[in-house]
Amino acid sequence: MTLDSFIRCRGLTREYRRGPEAIRPIDQLDLDVPAGEFLALMGPSGSGKSTLLHLLAGVDRPTAGRVEIGGVAVNELSRHRLAAWRARNVGFIFQLYHLVPSLTAFENVELPLLLAPLSRRERRARVEAALEAVGLSDRMRHFPRELSGGQEQRVAIARAIVHDPPLLLADEPTGDLDRRSATAILDLLRSLGRRGRTIVLVTHDPRAAEVADRVLHLDKGRLLEAPA
Amino acid sequence: MISLIRPLRLAGLAFRQLVRHRLRSGLTVAGVAAALFLFVVVASLQRALDRATRRTADDATLVVYRQNRFCPATSRLPVRYLDEIRAIPGVREVIPVQIVVNNCGASLDIVTFRGVPPDQLTRYAPEIAVVEGSIEAWQRMDDGALVGELLAGRRRLRAGDAFDAAGVRVRVAGILRSPHPQDNQIAYVHLPFLQQASRRGLGEVTQFNVRVADSALLDTVARAIDERFRSEAEPTQTHPEKAFFSEAARELMAWIGLAGWLSLAAAAAVFGLVANAIVLSTRARTLEYAVLETLGYPAGALGYLVAVEGALLGTLGGLFGAGTAAAYLSWRRLLFGNDGQTLALTADPAAVLQGLAVAAALGLLAAAWPAWRSAHRPVVEGLKS
Ligand SMILES: Nc1ncnc2c1ncn2[C@@H]1O[C@H](COP(=O)(O)OP(=O)(O)O)[C@@H](O)[C@H]1O
Ligand SMILES: [Mg+2]
Repeated sequence: MTLDSFIRCRGLTREYRRGPEAIRPIDQLDLDVPAGEFLALMGPSGSGKSTLLHLLAGVDRPTAGRVEIGGVAVNELSRHRLAAWRARNVGFIFQLYHLVPSLTAFENVELPLLLAPLSRRERRARVEAALEAVGLSDRMRHFPRELSGGQEQRVAIARAIVHDPPLLLADEPTGDLDRRSATAILDLLRSLGRRGRTIVLVTHDPRAAEVADRVLHLDKGRLLEAPA
Repeated sequence: MISLIRPLRLAGLAFRQLVRHRLRSGLTVAGVAAALFLFVVVASLQRALDRATRRTADDATLVVYRQNRFCPATSRLPVRYLDEIRAIPGVREVIPVQIVVNNCGASLDIVTFRGVPPDQLTRYAPEIAVVEGSIEAWQRMDDGALVGELLAGRRRLRAGDAFDAAGVRVRVAGILRSPHPQDNQIAYVHLPFLQQASRRGLGEVTQFNVRVADSALLDTVARAIDERFRSEAEPTQTHPEKAFFSEAARELMAWIGLAGWLSLAAAAAVFGLVANAIVLSTRARTLEYAVLETLGYPAGALGYLVAVEGALLGTLGGLFGAGTAAAYLSWRRLLFGNDGQTLALTADPAAVLQGLAVAAALGLLAAAWPAWRSAHRPVVEGLKS
């Protein structure tokens, strides 16, 4: 039944040890996400949402268990291969945008493309298309400090989709935004999801439920269909 | 193809980062430039000294001096030695020379007069080329000077000008260029004129310059000359020209040896400045590098970005510093002197290149450890910083 899962986690565990104490924000977690699904993961602060996203993206290593994405055993890849894999397969969106402050919106969005064998003209076309998709064609030459939070997050989304990855991971992308900007970002993600991308959105914004195909709650390291 | 394009693109990214952090990069580049200026000046000086003292296969000149004297003011030899030296086997040509220096100690602005019989100069030194004025004009002019082009450049002298030095006033009859560096730094004047002007007797000179028939004969001829005058009231001490320089300009050489430590200090400054800049910038950008890796930049690419920034800081500072040093040396044309020996300090292309290479290499080296750190920090750790 899980053969067509795009994301497949089995017995996923991440343990932090401090002396004799061990905490497991992710504990024996199983997760299946079919390709093209828009999944919202909810949970209170400290429930392990970021940890789970980091494990999915391969920027953190599980203590035990497996992560498979698109048939690739992510937890088995070397650090170098993980980076190359992310460059082709993952777009990551952070709560605090994390744009490179010394680069313009255009240059920030271009970053993932510098790794690909694309000509300057091809890169320009793609960056412009991505910024167009997030409605920021008129802000390409602006530096992050010259943009509002909502605009910064839209640049970050453009950066996450410019290389057209099949998977988008978003870690509380509206957590730092006012209501209006947050709604705009959620709508934007929704429209991106309609193009066949798989999206995992981590949030504690209840409105996320309205845009997602499915909502799961993270509780004591595991996932539940309904809030505890 | 791709494997070359990507490093170039990333280097472009590193350069852009430097440009955008204008103040930090500017200060570092300025510091590196200052250190490199010093480095290139000292390296040029060392290379000039090396040229002046290293014996080569075509050296064929001996300097006959008064025994145990090293300053032209105290070396006195009778002119009558001339014919006796000429008769010694192996001697091709010999010329009596009266030396007058405006400053016998260590100095930066030395003017050296060489008084020689005006009719003998071309025979003794046929390699001398007159680039302005003429030998004949000089021969006709009792107070005429044939000025080496480096000295002329430094004092901005043209044919027809008059100038004073060491209490002697001469008129410039011509400007000379010689393959022997020392010739380009001095002024040839008539021997009798100089003997009178410096209130020395007409029968007395400072030294004899001797050209031997074959450079292999340098030492034998030198020994023969000293042997010939050993029992005279004024015994001689004869050295190959370059050995004489080493002997006479001892203080200068010791001084330049000390200056060698300055280049080491300059190199240490370059390293420290770049290391400091890179350590601070990578520390401030831990999160940025983690984000880049999350976007798909391999850890090696992050290390590469840091290393390129270091190398660029070193290279840019090197270009400014070495360029300024080259411009300064070409403009000032410093002349170091010590006991009548002079060393022209000109911009040495090899020293400039050496400085550039040192700056780039030290920049790279200074960034090596921060680069390694940036490439090895766990990504999540960076994301949470
Ligand atoms: N490096 C770490 N060392 C120890 N505990 C950590 C570390 N990182 C996260 N944690 C703990 O893991 C839990 C989950 O963190 P996180 O995934 O960031 O939660 P969320 O994103 O849901 O707010 C928290 O209790 C946090 O304190
Ligand atoms: Mg979190």
